[in-house]
Amino acid sequence: MVLEATMICIDNSEWMRNGDYSPTRFQAQADAVNLICGAKTQSNPENTVGVLTMAGKGVRVLVTPTSDLGKILACMHGLEIGGEMNLAAGIQVAQLALKHRQNKKQQQRIIVFAGGPVKYDKKVLEMIGKKLKKNSVALDVVNFGEEDESKTEKLEALVAAVNNNDSSHIVHVPAGSSALSDVLLSTPIFTGDGEGGSGFAAAAAAAAAGGVSGFDFGVDPNLDPELALALRVSMEEERARQEAAAKKAADDSSKKEGESTSQDATMSENVGTSASESENKKDDMMDDENALLQQALAMSMVDPDTTVTARDTDMSDAAADDQDLALALQFSMQEDAKDQSDMGKLLADQSFVSSILTSLPGVDPNDPSVKDLLASMQNQPEKKDDDKAPKEDDK
Amino acid sequence: MACLHDHSCEDHDCSSDWSLYKHIDIPKLSALNEAVPGSVKAVFKAWEQRLNSSEGFLESNEGDPELIVFIPFTSDVKIKSISIVGGADGTSPNKMRAFINREGIDFSDAQSMQAVQEWDLAENLQGVLEYQTRYSRFQGVGNLTLHFPDSYGGDTSRIQYIGLKGEATQLKRDVIATIVYELMPNPSDHKTKSESGGGMSHVE
Repeated sequence: MVLEATMICIDNSEWMRNGDYSPTRFQAQADAVNLICGAKTQSNPENTVGVLTMAGKGVRVLVTPTSDLGKILACMHGLEIGGEMNLAAGIQVAQLALKHRQNKKQQQRIIVFAGGPVKYDKKVLEMIGKKLKKNSVALDVVNFGEEDESKTEKLEALVAAVNNNDSSHIVHVPAGSSALSDVLLSTPIFTGDGEGGSGFAAAAAAAAAGGVSGFDFGVDPNLDPELALALRVSMEEERARQEAAAKKAADDSSKKEGESTSQDATMSENVGTSASESENKKDDMMDDENALLQQALAMSMVDPDTTVTARDTDMSDAAADDQDLALALQFSMQEDAKDQSDMGKLLADQSFVSSILTSLPGVDPNDPSVKDLLASMQNQPEKKDDDKAPKEDDK
Repeated sequence: MACLHDHSCEDHDCSSDWSLYKHIDIPKLSALNEAVPGSVKAVFKAWEQRLNSSEGFLESNEGDPELIVFIPFTSDVKIKSISIVGGADGTSPNKMRAFINREGIDFSDAQSMQAVQEWDLAENLQGVLEYQTRYSRFQGVGNLTLHFPDSYGGDTSRIQYIGLKGEATQLKRDVIATIVYELMPNPSDHKTKSESGGGMSHVE
């Protein structure tokens, strides 16, 4: 999270028309620039980034250091390719632009994309490097495009002259199947001297590589612990639900299908909205399985079609509104008094009960305790009144 | 204008005079062209420790003896005189130029700007020389920038101690600051006592 002002020097010389980086060198460069701008502004909102072009008629500053990402992206449009890259002038103009930055507390950094050949002497470049070091400006060089012994040597010498305590880097990107941006993501240019990397870079790297690079779900647990936790919980619930759904597919009851999807909808909805309660919910699932199960059965027995969603909402919201809970309690109490006979019949219907069970997330129908419960349920339909009590301590 | 101490000073007396180092805003101290970043902080210490180089010293980069030291104060001060202890073997600076209340001076600025005052320094390895200022120009100093353009022939410049004598006025300087407010909330800046073990703070 270093506070930094960055000037990016873009190469828009004739050599950028070449297609050895897909789609063209220039387009690959533009993508990389966009990525860098995003990473810089995300790692610290007070960072500023500016852009200038080195070739064409002459060095031209497209946008002075600003934290407005839109402005930077907009200025990359409509750039013309032509001319020869003027490295020395580009770096000097970048240094001048940084000198006049608004916030003097920012560290100064220049990022150069060197695609075309370098016509300056090694000595000249070293002098420029020393001057940058003296004014404590860091320099990152992306060496791509033209492959040339002397070019590599010159750029290495330049970065060595500037380098102060490992703050400057040079990256060589040969032409190949992987995109320029992807290669850059893993370099210190993005990860910022190995200070742990910005979440942006990590997430982008994960997406690009198609795998998980350090952070699950592309969210840094350090940056956003609640979100990471909520994502993990919902992932587990989804997995459990899918297992239950797979089992239920064998049971094939279309009416139950409708119920379970509505239950699932409310379940996943609640995970999304009550992230702080996800911890409580997780505990409920694991620890109070049986109590929960009894309540679920009791409540769903009352009125399977209309009130089941309301009941499940009530139940899943572990820290739900007290008023709603009280109301639901009253309601279910009244209902139970009326529908004794119906409940008895429904409970007796073993297949119905088992299908309800399988559709509940976190419940494994093969669990011996569940099987015992089923057996006891059939024998004692009036046990449901006791089930109201456990609901209270389900907090 | 160098003055020698013409009295046998007891350390106690002198050290209380050279006490402006206590009013320096240490975290904001910076130097340009220093070989080891952060080494400038070791140069401001009590009078008794002026020859003690155990904490390190400020050295410029190899082959370039130019140095700029930026000294911000916690309140406005009046500077009466400055003392510099340099390094041996020609690494002492031979000239000093001072600028007042200007932030972000770099080498091109320093070379082109007119300094508030300039001194020719002598090699002062024992730290007994002090250089007086034109006091009227050094009233109400919020920050001081010292520019050392060259050394006594050495490859680098080395400074072991910078002493400042004067008074602190306890007045804060009014600055037209470019304040950048928080553009994006950073959760680590807003640690609140969580109600139920890790709850998200709500913004209503």
